[in-house]
Amino acid sequence: MAVHIRSLRRKIWQALSSIKTGVVLLITVVVLSAAGTIVLQRPVTDPDEMQRAYSPQVLRILDAVGLTDVFHAWWFVALMILVSLCIIAASIERFPNAWRYYARPYKSPDKTFRRALPIQKQIPIADEETGLVAAERSLHELGFKPERVVQSNHFSLFAERNRISEMAVYIVHASLLLIFFGGIVDALWGWRGFVKLTQGQQSSLVELRDGKQKSLPFAVRCDGAGQENYADGTPKKWWSQLAVVRNGQDLQRKEIVVNDPLVYGGVRFYQASYGPTGKLEKLLLTARASSGPGEKKDLALGLNEIASLDPDTTVQLAEFIPDYVVSDGQVYTRSTSVQNPAAHLLVTSRKSGKHVNFWLPALEGFAENAQSPYEFEAVDLKMGYFTGLEVSHEPGQWAVWAGVICMGIGLTFVFYVAHTRFWAVPVREANGKYTLWVGGLANRNREAFEERFRELVSKIEAELKTQAEVPARTRVPSIA
Amino acid sequence: MARARVEQQPAATGTTLIVMVGLGIAFLLFMAFLNVVKSGNLLNESNLLYAALIFYAGAGALYLGFGVTGTDSYVRFASLATWAGLAANTGAVAHRWYEAGHPPFASIYEMLLSFVWTLAVLTLIAEKKFGVKVIGTVTMPVAIVGVVLMQLLRTDVHPLVPALQSTWLHVHVTLAMLAYAACALSFALALMFLIQDKMQNETFLATTSLFGIGVYLGILTRFENWGGLSVVGWNAQEKSEMFLQRGVRLFVVIPDLGWLMLLVLLVVAAPFALYIVGRVRKNEALFTLANRAVFVSILLQIVALLVFLLRARAGQYPSLDAEGLYATSLAASPFILSGLVSGIFSSLLYLLLLWRRPDLERLLPTAEALDRITYKTICIAFPLLTLMIAAGAYWANRTWGSYWSWDPKETWAAITWLVYAGYLHMRITRGWRGRRAAYFAILGFVVVMFTFFGVTYLLPGLHAYA
Repeated sequence: MAVHIRSLRRKIWQALSSIKTGVVLLITVVVLSAAGTIVLQRPVTDPDEMQRAYSPQVLRILDAVGLTDVFHAWWFVALMILVSLCIIAASIERFPNAWRYYARPYKSPDKTFRRALPIQKQIPIADEETGLVAAERSLHELGFKPERVVQSNHFSLFAERNRISEMAVYIVHASLLLIFFGGIVDALWGWRGFVKLTQGQQSSLVELRDGKQKSLPFAVRCDGAGQENYADGTPKKWWSQLAVVRNGQDLQRKEIVVNDPLVYGGVRFYQASYGPTGKLEKLLLTARASSGPGEKKDLALGLNEIASLDPDTTVQLAEFIPDYVVSDGQVYTRSTSVQNPAAHLLVTSRKSGKHVNFWLPALEGFAENAQSPYEFEAVDLKMGYFTGLEVSHEPGQWAVWAGVICMGIGLTFVFYVAHTRFWAVPVREANGKYTLWVGGLANRNREAFEERFRELVSKIEAELKTQAEVPARTRVPSIA
Repeated sequence: MARARVEQQPAATGTTLIVMVGLGIAFLLFMAFLNVVKSGNLLNESNLLYAALIFYAGAGALYLGFGVTGTDSYVRFASLATWAGLAANTGAVAHRWYEAGHPPFASIYEMLLSFVWTLAVLTLIAEKKFGVKVIGTVTMPVAIVGVVLMQLLRTDVHPLVPALQSTWLHVHVTLAMLAYAACALSFALALMFLIQDKMQNETFLATTSLFGIGVYLGILTRFENWGGLSVVGWNAQEKSEMFLQRGVRLFVVIPDLGWLMLLVLLVVAAPFALYIVGRVRKNEALFTLANRAVFVSILLQIVALLVFLLRARAGQYPSLDAEGLYATSLAASPFILSGLVSGIFSSLLYLLLLWRRPDLERLLPTAEALDRITYKTICIAFPLLTLMIAAGAYWANRTWGSYWSWDPKETWAAITWLVYAGYLHMRITRGWRGRRAAYFAILGFVVVMFTFFGVTYLLPGLHAYA
């Protein structure tokens, strides 16, 4: 029984770590995510549009299978986890070999290796030492640091560069896992929401995507927001002046614009939208006594605010209607955009307690403007604007960015940095003469490497020639 | 056999074509110059683009001439013309950049401008560095189509909406252009590999036909009842597409055009059907018939293009979603137009292969060399793709607060990445070479094209800008 389980386990392991499984999984991911771009997705589509696009039966089936929200379906998450496991298993399966290769480089080539290596050359030399010295110097010239390796009864040379490139593919796979990890962390503990603030307002409640509310341990206050336009009227810039408030103290202030968020305690506030609330902030008007040549008096009234005009008379802004329409003896508003505004002022006499309804403009049937002791003229409207802030908390994003950087480095090594190795072994032939066996190997970009190898060989040959010309004496110190 | 055919041909001196193309360029430049004298403004963008178009067209003609006759001097003059076109194109890009104050990637027009520039640069690199001389036969027509399309699109510098004002966007789009251009190159190289690898003409025939079927099926997704074809309405005053409401385009129906497209689809599909029947029945005669059908299909495709051009340029059409009649324009349907044009080009290229295969084989590098260069190009494209996705994610994170939101363009970019990752794995760990690798490279480019055009055209999403 135990044997059976162990063999089963080994089978699962083999299946996970095989490249065939990897490819099948990747194809599945591709097909499913393609399906997710073709079928309308619930999170980003209006429910009405879903109804319109699919018949009820089809929609029910799609919903049941999870195709209307592919990227959050349990089976998609499971698939991603399976892909991760597959990468991990494949890496573990292959890593020890690669590590052995990396940690214990093959420095002294034996006879079989020398015979089989495709890139090699035999150069006749006078004796072992001359050949080694010539090869050493040539390798130095090419920028390598050759080391002498002791073989059973003589020396050989080994030089290499960019051994790390053998491990680069593991860097890439690890970085992919790091990105997945970040994504999973964000999917589990991250959240996204929205906050709408008017000027001066502060809030610590975020409305989440799923309709729930989240309370932050601090509040954010809007000290001002605005829009700048291009000459043709298209928006150029939205900005909000934000402050982070905790226990009545301002901890951080920043003017945010699109592309430049405020970050506090891992929560980020993005400028997302900007627009009119349809509510009045201040109505600017002038007041003048109806009788006599009284001076004009400037007033600024918010909704329900009261200002006194003289010791006896006060005025209150009782109503503001951004887009009025009169019907059936009632004043209604059609929309929240300021298209056709009307203001209702209440002029009160303290002594008599009498109210006069003053309307701007004078709406027939409502306005008692003639009876008012004061005449009012509207000068300007200051409308309230809100700034829409997208709020997000993504604790896993650092893993994602770290993964991206690692992947960049890893890919650079995988594709553009070749592990190159050179060996030089003096060999005594059967006829007693010596030859220098020079061989080289690169794990990528063969053509460029062959060019390099030819360069090395010609350098060694040139070196041997000069050595042969120069008397042996001068050669001795370099050996010692 | 191949050699014998080559020797039968008269030794081409090649001066005639060069003189003709030279005269053509001189004539067109002279005409353009007259125009310039009238307007008094030499170095504006449209003039530069016009000059680029003339030179690219000259280069295209010479490259084609080289493809057909194999006269070496054609290539020399063709690359000279390409250099001149590139200079004018660079001027146009620089002018645009200066005028707009941001790198030219913000609209489809600006992207095309940059894409054509990249394509010309890559053509010259491929020719000089890798010795792939005939590549201009494929890339120059694409560049010409690009420049012609640009003439139709809205060209005024329109300011960037807040979300697009980011350096990361420029990084993202630049990388995308470079990566896609490298993918396009790997595709062309893979095709050449298949030619050198003695792939049968009939297979190319079937593929060309399949490509045409894909194009016309794509167009026919806009088929409306009673044989109409719905296209986006065009507001001539504002030079922009018409919208019913924010983000919802107004479609108008051109009557009867749908039937014509359906007919062309059938004719385009005919060679493929004949090929299948020929394979099943082992009847070689059907292949000859299929080749004739390609010829007919080219003629019909040209008719379809002309009818589309004429009907889209003039006339008022009803809409299903709104009362009244509306105009449309070629500029409103850039994808249909490029689909039609590339359908014709691919059929023409097949004819070139059919008639001049021995010459092509003589002129191309060896199959092994092409296989290697294809792999190298993908080795360049893949890291660029990776960085492009990363830069896009970073930008999205700064703008919307989310680095990955599974919108269709993002998802398809990831799919592209996976396909090329698959190619690299198969090549490196499984030692896939030759045909299988070439098929994979072609598949990769098909996915790239879908990501670039198909997603914008067929699927909704955040990437409304491009």
